Amino acid sequence: MTERTTAPRPDGDQAPPRSSRRLRRPGALETLVFSVLLLVVAQQWLVPRLDAPALQTWATIFVSICVQALPFLVAGVLVSGAIAAYVPPEFFHRVLPRRPALAVPVAGMSGVVVPGCECASVPIAGSLVARGVTPAAAFAFLLAAPAINPIVLVATAVAFPGQPEMVLGRFLASLTVAVVMGWLWVRFGRTTWLRPPRRHSSDGTPPFEVFRRSVQHDFLHAGGFLVVGGIVAASVNVLVPSSVIEALAERWWLAVLALALLAVVVAICSEADAFVAASFTQFSRTAQLAFMVVGPAVDVKLIALQAGTFGRSFALRFAPVTFVVAVASTVLVGWWLL
Amino acid sequence: MNKEVQPVVLVLVGAAVLKISLGEAYLRYVKEGLQPFLIASGVVLVLLGLLSAWKDLDRGAEQASPAGAADGAAEAADGHDHAHGGPGIAWMLLLPVAAIFLVAPPALGADAASRDTGTVAGPRETSFVPLPEGDPVPLSVADYAVRAGWGGADTLEGRRVALDGFVTPAEDGGWYVTRIAMSCCAADGQAVKVEVLGQPAPPADTWVEVTGTYVPAAAEDPRTVPAVIQASGVVETTAPSNPYL
Repeated sequence: MTERTTAPRPDGDQAPPRSSRRLRRPGALETLVFSVLLLVVAQQWLVPRLDAPALQTWATIFVSICVQALPFLVAGVLVSGAIAAYVPPEFFHRVLPRRPALAVPVAGMSGVVVPGCECASVPIAGSLVARGVTPAAAFAFLLAAPAINPIVLVATAVAFPGQPEMVLGRFLASLTVAVVMGWLWVRFGRTTWLRPPRRHSSDGTPPFEVFRRSVQHDFLHAGGFLVVGGIVAASVNVLVPSSVIEALAERWWLAVLALALLAVVVAICSEADAFVAASFTQFSRTAQLAFMVVGPAVDVKLIALQAGTFGRSFALRFAPVTFVVAVASTVLVGWWLL
Repeated sequence: MNKEVQPVVLVLVGAAVLKISLGEAYLRYVKEGLQPFLIASGVVLVLLGLLSAWKDLDRGAEQASPAGAADGAAEAADGHDHAHGGPGIAWMLLLPVAAIFLVAPPALGADAASRDTGTVAGPRETSFVPLPEGDPVPLSVADYAVRAGWGGADTLEGRRVALDGFVTPAEDGGWYVTRIAMSCCAADGQAVKVEVLGQPAPPADTWVEVTGTYVPAAAEDPRTVPAVIQASGVVETTAPSNPYL
């Protein structure tokens, strides 16, 4: 019981323990109440000064990213809490092939049936690892679920009417990324890169209490990182003029890289990215595909969530490699299909 | 973040979501279809926060220390169970909460639209149905822009149309009647602009109805520039409850 709520961070890669200790002296609750009161009092003075149009646009986009992701995040932490509290570890050993190399494609394909957004799949993958699922399979699921679920594929078909090859291309390229990343982890991955998972062992705590604490911890944790991702995405959205990006559409490889990088920094939900990709009419179809394959696999919001769930040293390795694999897979599929 | 603050943050986030989703304010940020899920997640968070507060108070009473020092003592009594309390990153969650309660950011408007080219993606079908009866014909700026830019201009010839949207000033002193097309949330909003000729520009972000007739854009490829309308009248209107297309 003692281990559960502590979320051990042996590598000390996080500032929070220190800062929360500092906050504890005056009492964090008092600090919170005080700052809320201060803000309410200052509102009269503050709000007219936030009137700059660019700042308002930023605030709208920031809030909308948080609001859009929130229901998916809540659903994700409820599912992951339920896995932690109610699904025995043996279950996954039964359904997944014992050999990690075989478990990876099975986990990747299971992403097809789970309609979710990337914000939901990170906590779920986290609790799968905590439940003893081989990390490689959990990562294959993590990458596949937001990219190739039915909702996303239908949205893609709607956004690219009369072009079923875009849907097929997206499916193949994203599944390839998930499976290749899983296999890369089997071959090169080290568990030391992962923050030790919180154990939800059965130590006499009632399952509902395990569920409640897991949901609370995961939501506060992942939610905080989601906000950080939202700040980055909103800033890029407001600060980088779209004319800069469109100037890159001239050369095919620049176009692919530009839209792939754009997908990383704007962090649009996987259920919406097809419509945005389709609006880049000056770009080649391979570049549009890159936007849709890279986005659900690696973006600033997702990197922040992964850093929160699996630790920073994991995210720093996983995200760049995923980006390279996703671009390579897009170029191959695009060259073959489009 | 210690055990006492966590329930407060949960309730605050839940309350902020409920505040926007129980009215129409959420339409500034996301699509209509998300409303039930927003309400549900707001309720879940508020209930979870209340439950946690109750459970922790319960436990706090059991382990109350004579010193009466609220959290420090309770956590010391619990050993390292609460050594870290909870994730410090969770403080970030107060940022969108503060934005919603204190600033209530408005829907995207002229500032966001001026950052976009304002052109539209190609239509699903290449054949255009004739405009419906009426004079003027009410038309969405997106419909107008697609017809004008993607080979349906002949369906607009000789007809008076009425477009509604907000005013986005152009750099050269002209202006556009604008709507923002949103597919999921405001972050993916794409401005659809129609350049208005022949009428002076109202102030930015004013909602207007522009009546006028089609004129071709002065560009070799009409798909790369906003469509154009020769306006005969501009009437100020009120913003619709859902400002996006």
